[in-house]
Amino acid sequence: MSAIDLSVLTARQVRDGVASGTFSAREVADAAYARIEAVDDDVHAFLELSQDLAYEAADRVDAMRAAGDELPPLAGVPAGIKDNMNLVGTHTTCSSRMLEGYESVYDCTAVRRLIDAGALPIGKCNMDEFAFGSSTENSAFGPTRNPWDLERVPGGSSGGSAACVAAGMTSISLGSDTGGSIRQPGALTGTVALKPTYGRVSRYGVVAFGSSLDQIGPFGKSVDDVALALEAIAGADPMDATSAPEPVGRYTQALDLGAEGLRVGIVRDMLDLEGCAAEVRASVDMAAETFAALGAEVGEVDLPATRHGLAAYYIIGPAEASSNLARFDGIRYGHRVPDAADVIDLYTRSRAEGFGPESIRRIMLGTYALSAGYYDAYYGQAQKARTRIIEDFRAAFERFDVLLTPTTPGVAFHFGEKSDPYTMYLNDVYTIPVNLAGNCAVSVPSGLCSGSGMPIGLQIIADHFAEETLLRAAAAFEEATAFEPVPPLARIPK
Amino acid sequence: MPKDRLTEVLERYEAVIGLEIHTEITASNTKMFCGCPVAFGGEPNTRVCPVCLGLPGALPVPNEAAIEWTVLAGLATECDIALWSQFHRKQYFYPDMPKDYQISQYDLPFCSGGFVDVEVDGDGVGERLDLGGALPFVGPEAVAEDGGYRTRIGITRIHLEEDTGKMVHVGGSEGRIAGATHSLVDFNRAGTPLMELVTEPDIRTPEEARRFAQKLRAIWLALGVSDCNMEEGSMRVDANVSVRLRGSAELGVKSEVKNMNSFKSLHDAIAYEIVRHAEVLDSGGVVVQETRHWDAGAKRTSGLRSKEEAHDYRYFPEPDMVPFTFDPARVAELADRLPELPDARRDRYMADYGLPKRDASLLADDRETGCYFEEAVGLVGDTDARQIANWMLGDLAALLNAEGIAIGQARVTAAMLAELVGLVEDGTISGKQAKEVFAEAARTGDAPGAIVEDRGMRQVSDAGAIEAVVQGVLDAHPDEVATYRGGKTGLLGFFVGQVMREMRGQGNPAVVNEVVRRLLG
Ligand SMILES: [Zn+2]
Repeated sequence: MSAIDLSVLTARQVRDGVASGTFSAREVADAAYARIEAVDDDVHAFLELSQDLAYEAADRVDAMRAAGDELPPLAGVPAGIKDNMNLVGTHTTCSSRMLEGYESVYDCTAVRRLIDAGALPIGKCNMDEFAFGSSTENSAFGPTRNPWDLERVPGGSSGGSAACVAAGMTSISLGSDTGGSIRQPGALTGTVALKPTYGRVSRYGVVAFGSSLDQIGPFGKSVDDVALALEAIAGADPMDATSAPEPVGRYTQALDLGAEGLRVGIVRDMLDLEGCAAEVRASVDMAAETFAALGAEVGEVDLPATRHGLAAYYIIGPAEASSNLARFDGIRYGHRVPDAADVIDLYTRSRAEGFGPESIRRIMLGTYALSAGYYDAYYGQAQKARTRIIEDFRAAFERFDVLLTPTTPGVAFHFGEKSDPYTMYLNDVYTIPVNLAGNCAVSVPSGLCSGSGMPIGLQIIADHFAEETLLRAAAAFEEATAFEPVPPLARIPK
Repeated sequence: MPKDRLTEVLERYEAVIGLEIHTEITASNTKMFCGCPVAFGGEPNTRVCPVCLGLPGALPVPNEAAIEWTVLAGLATECDIALWSQFHRKQYFYPDMPKDYQISQYDLPFCSGGFVDVEVDGDGVGERLDLGGALPFVGPEAVAEDGGYRTRIGITRIHLEEDTGKMVHVGGSEGRIAGATHSLVDFNRAGTPLMELVTEPDIRTPEEARRFAQKLRAIWLALGVSDCNMEEGSMRVDANVSVRLRGSAELGVKSEVKNMNSFKSLHDAIAYEIVRHAEVLDSGGVVVQETRHWDAGAKRTSGLRSKEEAHDYRYFPEPDMVPFTFDPARVAELADRLPELPDARRDRYMADYGLPKRDASLLADDRETGCYFEEAVGLVGDTDARQIANWMLGDLAALLNAEGIAIGQARVTAAMLAELVGLVEDGTISGKQAKEVFAEAARTGDAPGAIVEDRGMRQVSDAGAIEAVVQGVLDAHPDEVATYRGGKTGLLGFFVGQVMREMRGQGNPAVVNEVVRRLLG
């Protein structure tokens, strides 16, 4: 068996290694589980390991190779799955006591497609409860730690999915992004993290948070890897009425087109937001210079309506969440108090016990915002702000192919550092407007913070269904910076 | 409740009634937002999937056919069809609702602003006291017609939603929640496409409410949108009832009555509520706005025990689906698909076959009955249409009633009835014999021609053969002959009867009559 170091190998290299017979898919699975064994006690990226499913998938790939069949694009690539995605043979808990022990009875479309493309489902990844949070501290089953510094958060809500890729436990992973839940942990862990256009990837089987905002997307160590994963999971799904009929692009083939001639806009007013670390701000300007050096036309643009993004998001997101989470009532599945006096008692106590504090906060926010007499003032106004944000982006994409912002205002923070919810919410100020507008965006590592040594992420945003352009720009930037963000694993005690 | 009590109340009070009618789109093979089959009953929780169970992560995908059915229903009731529409979530917690919200429609229903004209005749006319003394009456609301009247009931809207599951309360009395130890939920029905039609408060009497519901059922059946089975709950009628003193323009406080599973229950429950409201007001009380439950056995309504709260359903646009757009061309296309509706069919039967209005209505209101009628008439010819109608509304209706079956299940098919009428018309058998043949056909399913053949029931019309029998009868009863000839002509029937008995009923009655008369005379 060759040494398979998943902290170094990209998904494509793993796939090529399996295809060429350098190693078998089974050996890749072995390597993933060995790595998990070594580091996940510290990192806690996984809630559940699915060895049976992973080795089954590996054996299928190895059998195909033995038979001389052409291997699928992700053959033998180990993948982590966020625990809000259903996969038969695993539990789907959303890191909540409410769903502790809940067994998936059907497959999430995106997960199914990933496995059908040859990926090995290694396990289910930790997250903020029901995806409410930006640090994975809201998991009912304990936080995930940042592989770059175990004292710091990996971001959230897809913190486990980000950390398992960053720490080399898997090559890729799936997360979900409602207001930044893929891109923000991507930035905080030095991984490439893609939120596709709303409708690009089916939402069927991912436990809904904000139905008009949620989108599944991949984490990877390279732009090429997330492009590979996107090709596998994207496309219309008859089970999701909001999935888009637009044909799936050849994302991996767009990557070597370079940045020459691309029209790149720095979102100046977002960059100037108070609270953005100077070094983060500088990193965006440096990225713009990099694009200019690559032959892109660089300019500036303001998106004035995005300053209402956070407020609008914290109406629309919780409003939809309060409705989507109503079904967790203890009647058919999930946590139920054993001694309810009547059905109202059953509802109230089961929910009060099953949900963590942030979930309860969002449910209450959303319920209030939709209540009679408040709807127009809150939900109605938020929708108007959303429309203006959409118009801002539309206007910007008449002038530019991609837009640049930081992914987050700062680098990964320490546990407990942002205990006030509003401070925590501010971490998503750059990512939230993209969900409101439905565009696609990717966070790519752009450097390390000189003080903390923690990674910084650049957010690149593109128009609806312009993932080819988005990933092309990201790949050009990645190549130009030649930055290979491997966390200093020495810091992880053995 | 005695009818005169209602009349007495209606002399002083005017009732204002609106209906909410839920109809399951049973024509749809699948549920509203998933692929599970639509059917009644079955083992609990066998027609379910992640979507209609509201499992985490499952998403609704709208059933386009059900939307088309709703648009057709709107077109058949003169509604405007929204060119832009969407679903909303109606949110409240209840165990029969898997997601704890119902996907329904709010301010953008598929259909709005329609009407149905309702005709009232017979006893029900008496409930309309503002018209009662003064028929024929021609006013803005009601038009006198054929000893009855016609009135137009506005339709506020028709929207589409998903049905809930069914609760079974265990341990209490009669499956009621009071006293139950626990409850079970069956989600087989959950997600069935459900049309909700809301009328304007244009209805003034229990009879108008009944007629409206019957008319609507006839229209839905003509469309084929639903089987409209009130017993099984595929058509459910709730009534909002209030009363006000005659001459008052102000609306009274309303109660909502549920659980009427027949048209008679609908009528009686509304009548009960009108009287109850009047009695509350007469005794100086105040009517409480509440939901009440009709108990068909006890013939009264009772308030639901749970404290009624003004629900805040927190409606908001369903984010799992994109809004719907209809272009006018598609609506026109659907309008072309509308079948002949009961009123038009009734008018055609009156014009083409000269049927009286009541008979024409009875045949036209039920699509299957109309098809049966037209098939039979097609086989025997238009001139015998009245005979077909008489058989259908007489012996056949009695038979269906007795056996409790639909016309489609009758052993006597349209072709058999046509054959039977043909046998009478060409003189092969008498009308009396035909009744026997019908009964036999209904029992065995044998063709009328074969029955006539087997039983040797052919009618004897040959005057020569009949004369011989008549002569024999006269010879055997010389005293009666003398009495007859003495002027007691009432004995004619006696002789005819004797002859028919001799001929085992096979004598052509007209010929027998003629011969007896001639030989006696
Ligand atoms: Zn279903």
